[in-house]
Amino acid sequence: MNDVKNMADESMLFTVSPSPHLRHGDTTRSIMTDVIIALIPAFIWGVICFGLRALAVVALSVGSAIFFEYGIQKILKKNITIRDGSASLTGLLLGLSLPTSVPYFMPVVGSFFAIVIVKQLFGGIGKNFMNPALAARVFLFAWPGEMIRFTEPFKRLGFFASNKAIDAISTATPLGSLKEGVLPDIAWGDLIIGRSGGSIGEVSSVLLIVGGLYLLVRKVISWHIPVSFIGTVALLAAIFPQNEDTVAFIFSQLFAGGLILGAFFMATDYVTSPITNKGKLIFGAGCGMIVIFIRYFGGYPEGVSFAILIMNSLVYYIDKITKPRAFGKSRRGAKHG
Amino acid sequence: MIFLALTFKGGTHLKQYKNTKKFPIEKMTPPSEISISMSQHIGAPCVPTVNVGDYVFQGQIIGEPAENSGCPIHASVSGKIKAITSYKDMQGRHIQTVVIENDGKYELSPNIIPTAKKLTEVTSEEIIEIVRRAGILGMGGAAFPTYAKIQSAIGKAEKLIVNCAECEPFITADHRLMLERPLEIINGTKILLKAIGSRKAYIAIEDNKMDAVEKLEEKIGKSQMIKMKILRSKYPQGDERQLVYAITKKEIPSGKLPTDVGCVVFNAETCAAVFRAFVYGMPSIEKIVTVSGDAVTTPKNVLAPIGASYRDLISFCDGLKKDPRKLICGGPMMGTAQSDLDAPITKGTSALLVFSDEMCHEEDENYTCIRCGRCVNTCPMRLMPNYLAQFSRNGRYEDCEKYDVMSCVECGTCSYSCPGHVPIVQHIRSAKEALRKKATSLPDLDKK
Repeated sequence: MNDVKNMADESMLFTVSPSPHLRHGDTTRSIMTDVIIALIPAFIWGVICFGLRALAVVALSVGSAIFFEYGIQKILKKNITIRDGSASLTGLLLGLSLPTSVPYFMPVVGSFFAIVIVKQLFGGIGKNFMNPALAARVFLFAWPGEMIRFTEPFKRLGFFASNKAIDAISTATPLGSLKEGVLPDIAWGDLIIGRSGGSIGEVSSVLLIVGGLYLLVRKVISWHIPVSFIGTVALLAAIFPQNEDTVAFIFSQLFAGGLILGAFFMATDYVTSPITNKGKLIFGAGCGMIVIFIRYFGGYPEGVSFAILIMNSLVYYIDKITKPRAFGKSRRGAKHG
Repeated sequence: MIFLALTFKGGTHLKQYKNTKKFPIEKMTPPSEISISMSQHIGAPCVPTVNVGDYVFQGQIIGEPAENSGCPIHASVSGKIKAITSYKDMQGRHIQTVVIENDGKYELSPNIIPTAKKLTEVTSEEIIEIVRRAGILGMGGAAFPTYAKIQSAIGKAEKLIVNCAECEPFITADHRLMLERPLEIINGTKILLKAIGSRKAYIAIEDNKMDAVEKLEEKIGKSQMIKMKILRSKYPQGDERQLVYAITKKEIPSGKLPTDVGCVVFNAETCAAVFRAFVYGMPSIEKIVTVSGDAVTTPKNVLAPIGASYRDLISFCDGLKKDPRKLICGGPMMGTAQSDLDAPITKGTSALLVFSDEMCHEEDENYTCIRCGRCVNTCPMRLMPNYLAQFSRNGRYEDCEKYDVMSCVECGTCSYSCPGHVPIVQHIRSAKEALRKKATSLPDLDKK
């Protein structure tokens, strides 16, 4: 026990800082870690489904994302932020949204684009206006052949599979057949469990939803974006079905393709989504409408990435129009009174 | 938890740290020297009315307001005036103090006499004068003269609200007061009702103090004038605006006061002080202070004489058990960090906290907003703190104004919740300061 009477000198040591003097335990790092944890089940499923090559693609993408973040921050003499986990998460999301069979240079180029161009050149974490992983994925469509070649589930690829071996097991994705107006030839159960072709992390809707629920419980994300996004897709598919079996059509629209991954993990990215709950609902609904539009009328079977990126660019305006009415202000009080 | 407890939208659930709630209020032996600040309430400081060498009784007036607004300051002990000096407060202002050498006799001033009249016979003006002469200020921390508040409420406030929310972590002073001296609060409330000429009072209390609710309800008995209102324990429930909203569902318009929606709010201890002034003629010379924090050896609720130093209070709590890092006057959310252990407590001091390293967070120089939206969702004033902080940081004060920065009550919920460790409130304070300066210094040429 210190004698207070003799504390005269110690009083000089008091830290003086502005209130509040308490802080919630969550940090950027803990939030990023939570999202990574939520993605792990779907990632493991991807490796089980598509083989060790899937692991290699994701590892390359994560590793190079961290490397580029470190490198560019070193070059620009900025504070190194690889410990906040956001670069790892971007790498993970990018890797999970790629087909297993992409050549190994692609995840590296993608990570470079995501981290250096989209994120750091715009000022680093919190400043980018597009989701880095998605922007990189879309950038990689510079190699369209590689981006739309999917392999059959459980025909696992080794680390160094030849092009010929890949071609031998490539398959149409459920969304691809949906584009042709044909319901995918796959049992419902298999579709939601993820026994189908697709990007590494997008196939298992069940595991993605489990991860999404984890984020909801941990209050990392709120329900607004996933519900309005997925809900809008379901609603539009119900109103404008392209197959006589409406229920099966809606079901395939929801669970074939990247909708679940996109709605829970990409569209909810804090930096590139609106900050108010009302704004989040608008954002999700906008994403859903664009997805259906692209899937119905676009030249490409999938539209989730494009939809989210387009809505990303509107976030600032959505924030602006959904500014809450401040306590004690009249509705019109926001204008100069 | 009461299922239907009243509340407001936003806010946050804080860890409570109310580890002193079971500890009865302990009267502290006044130290051998008392140093009373002449700047107790907002506005112009008081001027000492005593000279060095004078003998003063306990409860004798030692300072009078310089202008005709404000209330006098009384000696909290008897003894000789040792010095009239000053200390520097946390804003860097020199605050004049009157130092009294405690003779240990506590001789009461002969002027302290009970009010001769009964409550039914006394007029509003008489009560206001009693309250003013007793030097009673809002004891929740704002330190606004109570008599002036009563004056402003007459004819406007139909509802009187007694603020017993005590939503800041650590502080249990009001909680103990409610448990130990419920009648003082209730009778003080009745006196205030009489002074204002209003017929309805609500005692507003958070649902983490159900023992106090029971106690007060028992003492209120069948009285129709006073009702209990139970609020959800959520920060900042005790903020005047959120409190009035929770009870009346009326929003106090921006820049206005509770009287504009027909309410007036008094703190629990203020009510008790009004009671003591009315019944015993006792001026405001002591304060219940919760002394707590992880570095304090024996946290306590201390009844301390106004003018005892922080050091005296900590000594009374058996000193420190850990190396101190922060000394906070007030609650951890809105209190101010202090650097001087010898500064005296004033009528607005509700808590004194000493934190060791473990309770303190490092300021993060590389703070970044990741736009998680927690500040927006928890802001009780429904502002967009992330944008305000960003605008303020870039000197875009006009944009801050458009985003209603002046409505911010600086409760600290945003900074508390921020995972990116952005000092949001601090940025907001700078913006408000800049806008205030602009408003006062420059003539507005545009509006001609």
